Amino acid sequence: MPTSIQESRSRAVETVLDELISHSRNLLKCVQCGACTGSCPSGRRTQLRVRRLMEKVLMGFEDVLNSDDLWLCTTCYVCFDRCPRDAQPTSVIKRLRNIAVRKGFMKAAHQKVARLFCDTGHLVPINDEVRAVRKSLGLSELPPTVHSYPESLKELETILEATGFRRMTG
Amino acid sequence: MKDEPLKEPVRIGVFICHCGSNIAGTVNVEALAEFSGKLPGVEFSTHYVYLCSDPGQGLIKDNVKQRGLNRVVVAACSPRMHEETFRRTVKESGLNPYLLEVANIREQCSWVHMNQKEAATEKAKALVAAAVMKSLHNEPLEPLTIEVEKSVLVVGGGVAGIQASLDLADQGFKVYLVEKQPSLGGHMAQLDKTFPTLDCSSCILTPKMVEASRHENIELLVYSEVKSVGGNVGGFEVTVLRKPRFVREELCRACGLCAEKCPVRVPNEFDMGLGERKAIYIPFPQAVPLKYTIDPEHCLYHQKGVCRVCEKFCPEKAVDFDQKPVEVKLKVGAIVIATGYEPYDCSQKYEYGYGRYKNVITNLEFERMVSASGPTYGQILRPSDRKPPRRVAFLQCVGSRDVNSNKYCSRICCMASVKQAHQVKEKDPSSDVVIFYTDLRCFGKGYEEFLERVQGEGVKVVRGRVAEVLEDVSGNLRLRYENTYLGEVFEEEFDLVVLAAGLIPSDVEELRTILKLSTTPDGFLAEAHPKLRPVETFTDGIYVCGTAQGPKDIPDTVAQASAAASRASALLSKGVVTVEPITAEVDEDRCGGCGLCVQACFFNAIELEVREGMKRSKVNQVLCKGCGVCGATCPSGAIKMRHFTDEQLKSEVEAILSTVRR
Amino acid sequence: MTSYSLFLGCIVPNRYPGIESATKMVFNKLGVNLKDMLGASCCPAPGVVGSFSEQTWLTVAARNLAIAEENRADVVTLCNGCFGTLFEANNTLKNEEETRKTVNALLSKTGRIYRGNVEVHHFAKLIYEGHLDQVKRLSQSLTGLKIAVHYGCHLLRPGTLKKIDNPEKPVFVDELVRNLGAESVDYKDKHMCCGAGGGVRSSNLELALDMTKEKLENVKASQADCILNVCAFCHLQFDRGQRELAEKKGLEYNIPVVHLTQLLGLAFGLNPRLLGLQAHAISTQPFLRKITKVSVQ
Repeated sequence: MPTSIQESRSRAVETVLDELISHSRNLLKCVQCGACTGSCPSGRRTQLRVRRLMEKVLMGFEDVLNSDDLWLCTTCYVCFDRCPRDAQPTSVIKRLRNIAVRKGFMKAAHQKVARLFCDTGHLVPINDEVRAVRKSLGLSELPPTVHSYPESLKELETILEATGFRRMTG
Repeated sequence: MKDEPLKEPVRIGVFICHCGSNIAGTVNVEALAEFSGKLPGVEFSTHYVYLCSDPGQGLIKDNVKQRGLNRVVVAACSPRMHEETFRRTVKESGLNPYLLEVANIREQCSWVHMNQKEAATEKAKALVAAAVMKSLHNEPLEPLTIEVEKSVLVVGGGVAGIQASLDLADQGFKVYLVEKQPSLGGHMAQLDKTFPTLDCSSCILTPKMVEASRHENIELLVYSEVKSVGGNVGGFEVTVLRKPRFVREELCRACGLCAEKCPVRVPNEFDMGLGERKAIYIPFPQAVPLKYTIDPEHCLYHQKGVCRVCEKFCPEKAVDFDQKPVEVKLKVGAIVIATGYEPYDCSQKYEYGYGRYKNVITNLEFERMVSASGPTYGQILRPSDRKPPRRVAFLQCVGSRDVNSNKYCSRICCMASVKQAHQVKEKDPSSDVVIFYTDLRCFGKGYEEFLERVQGEGVKVVRGRVAEVLEDVSGNLRLRYENTYLGEVFEEEFDLVVLAAGLIPSDVEELRTILKLSTTPDGFLAEAHPKLRPVETFTDGIYVCGTAQGPKDIPDTVAQASAAASRASALLSKGVVTVEPITAEVDEDRCGGCGLCVQACFFNAIELEVREGMKRSKVNQVLCKGCGVCGATCPSGAIKMRHFTDEQLKSEVEAILSTVRR
Repeated sequence: MTSYSLFLGCIVPNRYPGIESATKMVFNKLGVNLKDMLGASCCPAPGVVGSFSEQTWLTVAARNLAIAEENRADVVTLCNGCFGTLFEANNTLKNEEETRKTVNALLSKTGRIYRGNVEVHHFAKLIYEGHLDQVKRLSQSLTGLKIAVHYGCHLLRPGTLKKIDNPEKPVFVDELVRNLGAESVDYKDKHMCCGAGGGVRSSNLELALDMTKEKLENVKASQADCILNVCAFCHLQFDRGQRELAEKKGLEYNIPVVHLTQLLGLAFGLNPRLLGLQAHAISTQPFLRKITKVSVQ
């Protein structure tokens, strides 16, 4: 257990906070009123406490990045809309997740979904059963998406390569 | 008015203020002084740490006298702040005060360019050069003197307006007190007890209402609104519209027979709609003046042409359906605005269910309920089943401290809820009472002590902004919230929820436009200076007090009302007022009498008059504000703005351009 | 004829193609031309890809928007996730010059460019705002149907950005339903999330289903004939979620789940089979029977 806030902080975490603040300045205005937590449909059944997450970020606690709590948010944005200080908690959570992924904190299930995206261009790709349904409805067996255009999948691969997505989520 | 140019050669002194480090921390004042010394006409230049201080002003005076300076340029803060100060200094040095020119190198330079020291210094040079070049063309001007009417218009008959009126009337000034409702009293009359002393609100307010109505120097104009205001400080010409009561005030004895017989029931606004009144009514039993009023929107005779029962039964024959609105013309020296507040419309905070759930009420509704003279005769009953609640929740900051409604703190709601929580406990000590708050702000005299007492009575305070309120079929309410100290989420049931509605300014848009008053970003009327001129507005002779200026409790309101009265009385006692001679002037030889300026003037300060058979514009120097619109409109260039002539402005622009180009 | 670029996303074409055929038939009846967005990919999902890498999310979204730009037709979406992504990405890219430059630099490697000259619409709002009278004219009355409307989150929130309706009390889909003659029932926590978003369904199915369960309980209490949604992902969560709840917890709700395009198709008298209503995890038969009864009357 760290004995002081200073000890629990690392330079790296300060950079995290800097990055967050550069996007979401209002984060600094959080009054810890709890309207976010009270509004959270996930927090009613899990340990997710959006207010506490905000405070931890502000205080520079590193453990927010590898905490499971970060991934319990469904991004329903109710806290975002009700926040009396426009601290935009949902956006803060999404940006924290981005940093966590960059640092290698990612769930296996999410890595699987990311791989599907890289390989097929869809998070939910087609399967045989649905191919048949499509035909029975008079639709093309494959939709006119990346599924029908291999060159489009190439384009996507080019983008994912350029942004380092595959590497990051692999 | 003398405005022939000075005959003697121009000798300008430039004085640069450090303003501590406010200016000198950013602008290189030595370099600026050196630069200024080389400008045309400049005899002397220097810099000093605080020019507005006594020694600073002394420095200006000494140099004017010793060096025979005849123009002064001060480079310092905004002229809004200290132009008057330095004009006085210049006057005391023996010069005409209008031979002062101020260059604003603080608000318009050092403060906004804090991280660009060199560029800020260059900009300061341009600003000083502009002031020096204008100064070359400055001419002495003589202020106008106007006699002040010894009377005041007070707008708003709540506790602020009543207090201001009584203070002024006691000093011997004639007061016209205008109130739009049929009675004096405002929101304070709706309150039951007042925090933290638990005085009965009516008991302390009613005597003041009565005193105001009986005072020989106060003329009450209730059920009236200000229609128009012309004129200027010292001599405002006001038109007040008196709405018809359809009851002759001089005859009505308030016996109440009319209301007894009136068949129309209407929700009573005074009781926040919780109780009823008739179409002919007094808003509350202690109303002042105690006279009945017919509400034409609901009166059967007004709506359908039948009934007139009240007229038939009135023993005094006071009902008069033929009454018409009456315009009253007043002439006053000063105006005090005390138009108060309205509660925030809690239905806009949809997640709390106000307006949808019967048992969600506001704290003003609670006040009416807990008042002995209110619709429930002082019993706290939940609206759905009229049963006394066992579990009551107070929700703070509804429409306050919230970027989605109002950013500001409404300042009274914490204490209002603490007091009301006490009243619930007082009626039923076994009830559960919880106040949900973000910060409990009990900052006034005796307030924290009151909170301590109420907590001791068993009222719970829970830190957490309630997220939402759900209603079940029985009308009970479930509150979703996080207890932020525990970090735990709860869904808890209550019988009654009281929302601490924030304060928003009364709708005074029309009056504000008539009087050309400004507001602060929160919508409340702006004071001339938040610390040093808290009851004056930017318009001379108009003062503001009470919640019209910002949310405040009764003690602050009364104190501010007395302050406004005192400022108004200072003006009235002096008897004369001087106005700025910075006004428009028409060159008769060039004026073609087209009248465009007459249409353009916002202040009705220009008239066309016929001289030697020709139409010519004429400027009323008292009404003219020197805004310059007429000058810009005039197609023949016949209008000159004193102190801002074309020549003066051009020389400023040229000075800036040539300094920047350098 | 007005044209829109139809953005399919993933779930519509690859799980519920009935929504795709319903959309095409309904818009055809409304006289609106829908252009395919050839080679479009996942939007990508705001709470999943957007949570992993904002830059990837923005760049892939920009590519999809660029396809619509080449179509010279505004985008219409059938899923709140797709709407959320494309609307928000479009908004960011239009308003933030630096971001646009960075994203275009990445996108240029594919030979495409984002110009910022299309708008992104949600189909429900588009129909409500532009075609309500037509809908009324073309529809048989659905009197007697009790419908539990579910708006979903990313259609309305963040409210200050989307400006579609008041997120605390949206009304326009309910009004649409009422215009079809059906009743829109009120139910507890009507505007609560379905539970699927933000990558929760993929990584924590149990949590997602727990939220879905709460909604299903509340809908059940309202005795509605179906859950009506305007989002393919919410649709999937309610439909498959019911099967999953049955399998995992033995909880049977059997509440039919209907996408608004499908309901409009039924109101327009289209064949339920062509709307894919037979291909749902939860049988829509009870609901369809009620409609038949309604149409016979």
